[in-house]
Amino acid sequence: MAENTAVLATYGLKKAYGACMALDGTNMMVRRGDIYGLVGRNGAGKTTLMRMATGQSQPSGGEIELFGASGREMGPQRRRTGAMIEIPSFSPFLTARENLEYYRLQRGIPGKQTVDEALELVDLTDTENKKFKSFSLGMKQRLGLALALMNRPDFLILDEPINGLDPKGVAEFRQILWQLNQERETTILVSSHILSELSNIATRYGFMEQGKILEEISAQALHDKCRTCLRLEVDDASRAAAILQTELGTDKFEVLPGNVIQLYDCLDDPKRASYALAQNGVALLAMEQKGADLEAYFLNLIGGGRHA
Amino acid sequence: MLNYIRAETYKVLRRPYTYIALAVMLVLEGIFAAGFAFHNSHSFATPFGGAIVSIVELRAIGFSMCLLTGDMVFAAQYKNSTLKNEVSFGISRTQIYLGKLIAQTLLSLVYLAIMMAFFIGLCAICLPIEGPAGFFSAGDALIIVGYFLAAGIPLWIGGQAAMCMCLFLTNGEMTSSFLYVGIVFILDTFLSVTGLLVQGWLGNLLVKTSEYFPRPMLDTAKAVVGDPVYLGQAWLVGAFWVTVCTAIGLYGFHRKEIK
Repeated sequence: MAENTAVLATYGLKKAYGACMALDGTNMMVRRGDIYGLVGRNGAGKTTLMRMATGQSQPSGGEIELFGASGREMGPQRRRTGAMIEIPSFSPFLTARENLEYYRLQRGIPGKQTVDEALELVDLTDTENKKFKSFSLGMKQRLGLALALMNRPDFLILDEPINGLDPKGVAEFRQILWQLNQERETTILVSSHILSELSNIATRYGFMEQGKILEEISAQALHDKCRTCLRLEVDDASRAAAILQTELGTDKFEVLPGNVIQLYDCLDDPKRASYALAQNGVALLAMEQKGADLEAYFLNLIGGGRHA
Repeated sequence: MLNYIRAETYKVLRRPYTYIALAVMLVLEGIFAAGFAFHNSHSFATPFGGAIVSIVELRAIGFSMCLLTGDMVFAAQYKNSTLKNEVSFGISRTQIYLGKLIAQTLLSLVYLAIMMAFFIGLCAICLPIEGPAGFFSAGDALIIVGYFLAAGIPLWIGGQAAMCMCLFLTNGEMTSSFLYVGIVFILDTFLSVTGLLVQGWLGNLLVKTSEYFPRPMLDTAKAVVGDPVYLGQAWLVGAFWVTVCTAIGLYGFHRKEIK
């Protein structure tokens, strides 16, 4: 896709806190229409990156662009965004309705019904008169989302948005994001530790570690990489590929370096593949069934063993 | 900017703190006025004029009120982490800073108007308008109070700007309050004493500088009632403090990480 469709782009973005580099040359691009899942373990730099996108923090180096604007020009573009970074924060002495009305006035959003619509969208109409200080974490998350959505943003930035939500809330939240993306064409950047939830909605992923984006990949490409396959290690991969085509009549395989073939066929009967190769004089050195989910893929990418 | 000030007003008017603080101040004023009435019932007759002029002696309360009104508008925004909601929407930091300063100043002026009207009204009801010789007449007293307010308002606004700066530069209301007290109530005395100890041109400079702090300026105002030059100086000093404090506060806030 062309670069002019980039909603958020960073080029060698850096952020130093003393000697610690929270972001160390981060390059990423969120394109229009993406639901971009930002994956990384604690301290990887996800929140720092989002804080810079929202103007809460200034870069130490590199460049960041929002809707193609950078530097001071980013300010007006931020009015096209909605954000919920870390724990949602509101005035504790105001109710949900009063808090939203305060921000509606401040942002010059016309129409008092905007507040009602936002509360309805996140299912907080019953608690609209309860003071924020007595909200549960789940209710705070909902109110945070209501604020982020109140100005009908083109771009939504959500940092760990499902923390504290019950299973019903998570499902509703997922539905809301999906609807926004499909019906309003809202671009969404979302981070979460619950990778299974991200995998349910993200259309594109960025894997982050130690302040760097290790890989950006579309959901389809990730799906292809993660799908279950037979991993065949042979002595001659090109001959083996020809045999799979002629003897098994399949082209659902990939030839990888090191005489490795990933076969996405014959999963229910691996013997067919091994028999065909053996019959045609190709030595099968190893064979295993392989598959990965988002979590396994991420752990593999960062070197394994550590949790997101 | 108008939207921002409207929103701040909306918030402040929904804080119980706003009304409780005002109620406490009015009760204290009531007690103060009742003190005069009580004296009057025991043969010592302080008339209306004598009572309202006494408010000039309570001028430091105006600078203390800046602490309250600043805190009411700022509403622990660092502690509650609510500034991020404003910055992330693209409201410029300059607009946030100036919006809060203007809202604080407006709230201070409303407080001042209510408190003055309440006290003067209460004295008019409870105390005799004319009293024995030796007391200010009602007309003279109102002129003194009027001059005092005309000189005091710009200096109090200067104090408000200092409070706003402290709120934005520090990360907590307690720290900002201590910093404000240090700047407005202690620094001038420190400069003055240091100036007297140092002597010479540097000493003179320090003493002279201390005279241009809001509080000493207002202390002097009661001795020069009716002097238009001093009134002009008070407005210049107030404007200077607003400008300098706002410039420092904005500089610091623009470089601050919002957490």
